[in-house]
Amino acid sequence: MIHYVIKTLWRHRMRTFLTASGAAVAMFVFCFVGSVQEGLNRLTTGADANQSLIVFQENRFCPTSSRLPLDYANQIEKIPGVAEVMPIQVWTNNCRASLDVVVFNGADSHKIQQHRPINLQQGRWATFQSRRDAAIVGKNVARRRGIAVGDQFSIGDISVQVAGIFESSIPSEENLIYTNLDFLQYTQGLDAAGLVTQHEVVLNSAADPDLVAKNIDRALRSGPVATTTRRKGAFQISTLSDLVDLIGFAHWLGFACVGLVLALVATTTVMSVEDRLKEYAILQTIGIRPRLAFRLVMTESTLLCLVGGGLGTMAALLVLTLGGFAMGAEGATIAFRPSLSLLMMGMLVSLGLGFLSGCMPAIKAANVPIVRVLNQP
Amino acid sequence: MALVELRNISKCFTKGDETITPLANVDLNIEAGEFVSLMGPSGTGKSTLLNLISGIDRPDEGTVTVDGIDVTALSRGQLADWRANNLGYIFQTHNLIPVLTTYENVELPTLLLKLKAAERRQRVELALEAVGLTDRADHYPRQLSGGQEQRVGIARAMVGHPKIVVADEPTGSLDTKTSEQIEVLLKRLNQELNITLLMVTHDADTASIASRMLRLDEGQLVDITTTDLR
Repeated sequence: MIHYVIKTLWRHRMRTFLTASGAAVAMFVFCFVGSVQEGLNRLTTGADANQSLIVFQENRFCPTSSRLPLDYANQIEKIPGVAEVMPIQVWTNNCRASLDVVVFNGADSHKIQQHRPINLQQGRWATFQSRRDAAIVGKNVARRRGIAVGDQFSIGDISVQVAGIFESSIPSEENLIYTNLDFLQYTQGLDAAGLVTQHEVVLNSAADPDLVAKNIDRALRSGPVATTTRRKGAFQISTLSDLVDLIGFAHWLGFACVGLVLALVATTTVMSVEDRLKEYAILQTIGIRPRLAFRLVMTESTLLCLVGGGLGTMAALLVLTLGGFAMGAEGATIAFRPSLSLLMMGMLVSLGLGFLSGCMPAIKAANVPIVRVLNQP
Repeated sequence: MALVELRNISKCFTKGDETITPLANVDLNIEAGEFVSLMGPSGTGKSTLLNLISGIDRPDEGTVTVDGIDVTALSRGQLADWRANNLGYIFQTHNLIPVLTTYENVELPTLLLKLKAAERRQRVELALEAVGLTDRADHYPRQLSGGQEQRVGIARAMVGHPKIVVADEPTGSLDTKTSEQIEVLLKRLNQELNITLLMVTHDADTASIASRMLRLDEGQLVDITTTDLR
C-alpha cells in the first residue's frame, strides 16, 4: 500500500513540494540553532572546561584590558593541585560579538603542542617552533579566511607566517590562531613585554577546581594586579554572557520551527484527507481495515516530514561543514559544527512530527462514516 | 440454507422532526448463484438494504447473515476483513481511485487477500480480460470513458472471487448504449462465473435481466418476477 501513498503524494506534487520545502526550511533553522546550542554546551562541559582554570585580571572582560604579570605563572605552579601553567597573550580583531572573529593566542609553542588538544592536519610543529612569527591556524579560521600553509596572513598590526593547519576535538579551538608568546607580546600596539592576558592552569585529576581557583586568587592578592580565577567553562560562559542570552532566546526559535513544521504538515495532511474522504470510504468498502486507513495517512504525513525535514537537516549539516561558522566575543568563540547527534536529532524530530501531524487526520480517515460520505455528490 | 438471509430488518432515519422508516421488518433470502434485482422509487431504502448486506451500515433491528456469518455482530475491523474476503461492491459512480491505473485499481482488493504475487497478477489479468479492458490496464481513470470506468469497477468487484457482488445502480450514470453493455456483462458474470448478484436499480429494463425481481414498497419487499413491468 506504500505504492498508493507515494502515488497520492506525487499526484499532488505541488502541495507535496511546498510542504516538504517548508518543513526543510524549518528543520534547517532548527538544526542550525541546535548546532549553536551544542557549541555552547561543548564550551561548558568536558574535561577541558572543568579541569582547566583561567586566571584573568579582576573585573576585566575584554582580553585587551587584562594585563597580568608573566611571572604569576611561577607562583601559580606552586599551588597544590596545579599540574601546568600556560601564560597566554590574547589578541582579537573584535572585542564585540562577531561572526568572523579572529583570535590569536600567543603561548609557549612546546606547551601548546603538549597541552592543547590539537592535531596538525598540514604543516610541521618544527617550523612553528623554529620561527618567531610562525603561526598554526585552526581549520575553521583557515576555511573561512582561505588560509593555506606557507601563506603570510596579516590582520591589523599582526602578520604571521602560516606553519600549519590544525584540527581539534574541541570545536572552539579550531577558531583560534596560535603564535609564539613573545611574538604576540611584542606586536606593535600591544606593548605587553612581561605581561600576558591570562594564565591557563591545567589541574591534576584529583584537584578540586574551585578550591584551587580560590587559592590562586588568594596567593596573587598581594601582587600588583588582582585576579579572578574560574573554571575555563565558567570563564567562557561569563565572557560570552551576552551571546549566551541570545542563544537562549534562539533556542525558542528552534522550538518555533518545530511548531511550524507540525502546523504545516498537519494542515496539509488534514486538507489531503478532507479532499479524499470519499476515497477512504471506498477503500474501506473494498475491505481496507480502519487501522490500515489510519496507517496510510500516518505514512503520508511521516513521509512528508521525513523527506522535508531530512533534506533540511542534511542541508544544515552540509552548510555547517562547509561554512566553518563561529560566533565570538571578547576572545572566546562558539563553534557551529555538524554532529551525528544533530543529524539524529533532526531525523528523530522529523519522524516524531510526522507521527504527531498525522494523528488527527488519520483518526478521521479511519473513522470515516462510509455511507454518508459515499452518498455525497 | 440461503447464501444471504435477512430477518426482521428495520432501519429508520431522523430528518428534522420526521422519522423515516425505509425498511420495516424486512425478510429476504438470496440463494447462491442467484441474480436478484431490487427496484423501487428513489428514497425507498434500496441502497440502504444493499449497504446493510454489505456491512457498511447497521440495521436498527434484525440480523443479516451471509454464508452463515451474522454480519450485524461483527466489529468495524472484522467487517472490513469480511468484505475483503466475501463481498464485491459495484458503485453507481464507479468510485475508482484516481491515482491508480486500471490495473492497480483492480489489483487493490487482492492486496488484502493472502495471495502469491503470481496468483494476484493472474486474477487481475483475468478480471480485466473478462471486462474487455486488457488494453487499458495502464490507463488512469481520467483517461477512461464512463462505461470503461464502470467495467473497471466490475472487475474490481469480482477479482477477489467474492461470495456475493452487490451493485448500486450500476447503470445509473451511463447512457443507454453503455448501460446495455454493462447489463450484458453483469448477466455473463452471473451465468458464466456463477457469481451471486444483488443489483439495485430504478430502471425496469435493467431490472429485467435478473432471474428474480424485487420491489421495495413502503418498507416491504414484494416479488415482482412474474409481473409485466412494461
